[in-house]
Amino acid sequence: MSDALNITATPDSQWKRRFMQPLLRQRSAMVGLAIIALYVVAAVFAPWLATHDPTAQDLMASLQGPSAAHWLGTDSYGQDLYSRLLYGAQLALIIGFASVALGLVAGVAIGLTAGLMGGRTEWVLMRIVDGLLAFPELILAMAFMAVLGLGTENVVYALALSFVGPFARMTRGDVLQVKNQPYIEAAQLMGVSTAAIIWRHVLPNVVSPILVQAGMRVSIAILLESGLSFLGIGVVPPTPDWGLMISEGRGFITMAPWISGVPGVALAILLVALNLLGDGLRDAFDPTTQKDA
Amino acid sequence: MDCAVALNPLAADMPGSQEPLLEVRDFSLRRGKAVVLDGVNLALQPGETLGLIGESGAGKSTLALALIGLLRPPEVQLEGSMRFRGTELTQLREADYRRLRGNKIGLIFQDATAALNPCFTVGEQIAEPLKRHLGLSKWNRREQATALMHSVGIPEPRLRLDAYPHELSGGMQQRVMIAIALACNPELLLADEPTSALDVTIQAQIMELILDRVRALNSSAVFVLHDLALGAQVCDRIAVMYAGQIVEEGPSERVLASPLHPYTRGLKSCVVELGSRTLEPIPGQVPPLNAMPAGCRFAPRCPKAKAICGEQRPLAETRDGRQVACWFID
Amino acid sequence: MQEPIFSLLDVERTYELRGRGWFHRTARQLKALDGVRLELQRGDTLALVGESGSGKSTLIRLMLGLEPASDGRVLYGQRDLSQLDAEARKRFAREVAFIYQNARGSMNPRMRIEDILAEPIRLHRLCAESAIPERVAALLDRVGLPAGLLQRFPSELSGGQIRRVAIARALAAEPQVIMADESVAGLDVSVQAQVLNLLRDLCCESGITLVFITHDLGVASYLCEKIAVLYLGRIVEQGPTDAILNTPRHPYTRALLQAFPRFDMPLKASLSGEIPSPVDLPKGCRFAGRCPEAQAACRETDPALTMFDAERQVACLFPVATA
Repeated sequence: MSDALNITATPDSQWKRRFMQPLLRQRSAMVGLAIIALYVVAAVFAPWLATHDPTAQDLMASLQGPSAAHWLGTDSYGQDLYSRLLYGAQLALIIGFASVALGLVAGVAIGLTAGLMGGRTEWVLMRIVDGLLAFPELILAMAFMAVLGLGTENVVYALALSFVGPFARMTRGDVLQVKNQPYIEAAQLMGVSTAAIIWRHVLPNVVSPILVQAGMRVSIAILLESGLSFLGIGVVPPTPDWGLMISEGRGFITMAPWISGVPGVALAILLVALNLLGDGLRDAFDPTTQKDA
Repeated sequence: MDCAVALNPLAADMPGSQEPLLEVRDFSLRRGKAVVLDGVNLALQPGETLGLIGESGAGKSTLALALIGLLRPPEVQLEGSMRFRGTELTQLREADYRRLRGNKIGLIFQDATAALNPCFTVGEQIAEPLKRHLGLSKWNRREQATALMHSVGIPEPRLRLDAYPHELSGGMQQRVMIAIALACNPELLLADEPTSALDVTIQAQIMELILDRVRALNSSAVFVLHDLALGAQVCDRIAVMYAGQIVEEGPSERVLASPLHPYTRGLKSCVVELGSRTLEPIPGQVPPLNAMPAGCRFAPRCPKAKAICGEQRPLAETRDGRQVACWFID
Repeated sequence: MQEPIFSLLDVERTYELRGRGWFHRTARQLKALDGVRLELQRGDTLALVGESGSGKSTLIRLMLGLEPASDGRVLYGQRDLSQLDAEARKRFAREVAFIYQNARGSMNPRMRIEDILAEPIRLHRLCAESAIPERVAALLDRVGLPAGLLQRFPSELSGGQIRRVAIARALAAEPQVIMADESVAGLDVSVQAQVLNLLRDLCCESGITLVFITHDLGVASYLCEKIAVLYLGRIVEQGPTDAILNTPRHPYTRALLQAFPRFDMPLKASLSGEIPSPVDLPKGCRFAGRCPEAQAACRETDPALTMFDAERQVACLFPVATA
C-alpha cells in the first residue's frame, strides 16, 4: 500500500533510508558538515590548541601582523588573534546552540499548551506569539538586551526569547494536526490517561520536524549574536567574540585589516557551512525532491 | 518477450465476426524494468460490453488508461498493438489522440468528485467536449448540455446547468461524468469502477443508466470492475486479469458460472454472496511488480501448480467457448 | 432472560447547524439518529447496515460514549453511559473495544507494532511486564500474522495486515464486546475473505459480542446473526439475518437486497431518486419519498419501530406481506 507519508509519520527505522542516504548524496551539504566539524573540533579543543590566553594583553606587541609568535597577529590590545579566534568559535557555538535549545523548550511548551487546551488559553497565548513574531528577530533581541543588560548569559536569554515565537507557532500547528488524528481518539477510547496521551502519542509526532527547524536556526542564532556584539550590546569585552572583534577592528581597517578580517572570514565560512547543511537537510526532508526508495 | 501468445480471442470461432471495434494484440506496457501489462489480447465488437475484472494491482486501470492514451512514452514503454477502428493507437500522435478522446472514446472515472473541476459549472464541463470536437455554438451547446443532463436522469437540468460540482450529491456528480463521457456519442466507452464510490442503491441506478445509454447509442463499453457479481450482471464478456495478464476470457455467464482458470475459481469462492456459508481465500499475495515470477504468474498461489508452471507461461487454449491460460485445465 | 449488555431507549442525536444570515436565527437541525431502540444480548453478533446518512457511525459513537445522546438513554448493563464514574469508565474501556474504519490512522505511526499491541495490556495491568512479549506474540499469531511484524511500524504494513493488527489490538484487553466500523471495506476480495473468516472464528470460539457496521449485506450476512437496517437515522428493520434476507418486511430492506449484485440475477435498480439529506426531514415516514409502496398515510405519520413478530421489528405502516 502506498500512503503519502509526511515527516511526522516517518519512524526511526526509516530515517536511514529516507533521509540519511539522500542527505549523504548531496555534496554541498557534506562539505558544509565537514566544515562545521572542523569548527567544532576547534571549539572543543580550544584550550589545547590556543597558543596564548585570549584575554592576555600585551601592549608592546599590539597591532602586529601574522608572525611566528602570533600566528594570526594581534589586535590593538596585543591580544593574540589566533587564540581569540578559537575561543570565539567556542563562544559562537555555545551561544548558538544554547539559545536555540532554550527557545525550543519554551516555544514547544507554549505551542503544546495552546494547541492542546484550545479555547481562550490558546487565543491568549497565540496573540502573545503573534506580537513576538511581529518584530524582526534582531530588533527583538536588542530590546531584550536593553532590558536585561549586557553579557554573555543575557545574550543567550535574549536570543532564546526571540526564538520562542517561531517555535511556538510551529508546534501549535503540528499539535492541532496531531490532535485530530484517529489514533488520539483511539487511545482515549482505550482509557489511556491524558498525560500519557500527550507524552506517548502527541509529543513524538510533533517534535521531529521541529528539531530539524531548530538545527537550521543555529546559524541564525550565531549571526544574531555576532550582530549584537558588533553593535556593542552583546557580550562585554574582553570576551573573545567574533562580533566584538570585528567591531574593535573597525578603527584599524587600513592599518591592520586582519583584526576585523580574520573573525569576519571565520564567521562567514561557518554561516555558509551551516546554510549548506540546512539546505541539504531541507531537501532531504522534502518528499518532492526524493526519489521513492 | 518471447513469442508465447497469450489469449487470442480472434482464434476462437466467433460466428460472423465483423471487423472488431477494438483490437488489442500482444500488448505489453513497461514502466522501467517492471512489466505492468504482459501480452494482453482483447477484441471488442461494436455494441458489446466487456468487463475487465481483477483485484488491485492486476493492471485493469492501467489498461484502460493506456487505451485512452493517458499512458504513453516516455513515462512508459509500449509494445504490441492496439487498434481502434483500424487505427493503430500506439503510433498515434498526441494531436490525433486528442481528437479521439472525449469524442470517439469516452472515459468515466471512478471518483467523480475528484474528476470534476470545482472551478467550473457542471454545464460548462459538459459543454467542453461539445465545443472542442463538435464546434457547436454557445446556444447550441447549452441546449445540448441540457438534453444530455436530462438523458442521464438529472432532474431540472436547466437549473442545474449553472451549478458547481460540490453543490451536487455523489450520485449526481457521477451522472454528470457520464454525460460528459457520452457528449459526443462515442463509439467506445471506458468506465473505470464507475460506481465504487457510490451507495449500493445508487450504484444499481447508475449502472442501469450507463447500460441504457450505451445501448441507445449502439456503442461498445469496457468496464473496469473489482466486483465479480456486478461484472456478471453488466457485461456480455468478461476478461479476468491477474498481475498484468488475462487469465480467462469469454462470455460472462460461462466464465462466472463455471470458471476454468484456478484464479477465477479462487476469486469466485472468496466473493461474499448473500447466504454464503464459507469463504475460501486465495493463499499468498500478488507478487510485487519488480519481482514477478517466470512462467505463469499465478503459479506460486495455485493449488494445481506443477513444475512446468514455474518455467513456461501457459498458452491460451480455447475451451468451452472461452480462452483460458493454464496448463492444467480440467 | 439475561440482562442485555447494551440497551438504547429512544435515543436521538441532533446536531445544530448554524443557519444562514447574520443573526443565525434559523438554526437548522441535523437529526443523525431518531428514536433508536436497540437491545444487545451477550454473545450477539449484530450488523448495522445502512448507506450514507443512515447514522450507523453516529450510533456506534454513541454506544462507545464518544458523543452524548441528545435525547433518550444509552445503557451499558444497567447503567447509563453518561453517568459512569472514572473507575467504571476504565472498566468499560477494557470491556468494549473498537476497530476503526481507518485502521492505519488509528495507530500511532511512530510506535512499533509490539508497543501498539502492548499498550492496552499494560494499561489495564493484565499481566506482569515480563510476560508481555509472549502475550503480544500470541495475539499476532491468533490473527494469523508472522511474529516478524512486531518490529515494524504501521506504515510498513499492507492494508490487510494493518486491519488484522487492529483486530489483535482490540483483542489485547480481552474485551467482551467488539465494535467494528467497515473493517473489510476497500480490501481485495481475497484479503477480505481472510479477515472475515478471522472475525467469524474469533466470535465463535470466544463468544464475544460483535457489533459490525457495514454497507454490504453480504458481509453482514456472513458475520452476523442479527441485522439492524438503518435509514436516515432510524432503525427501519431489525431481526435475525436469515429471516430478513429471505423475507424482508420493510420496503427499504427489500430494495437493498435487490440492489445487491448477484451472479444469478440480472441488474435491477430497485429505487429511484437520491438519498435525501438528513437535514430538515419531511413530515411522515422518512422513506416515503422513494418508497414504491408509499401511500397517503405514509406522508402523515412517522412509523416507530414496532414488533412485527416474535423476533422481528419493523418501522413501517404497511410492511411487505410476502417475500
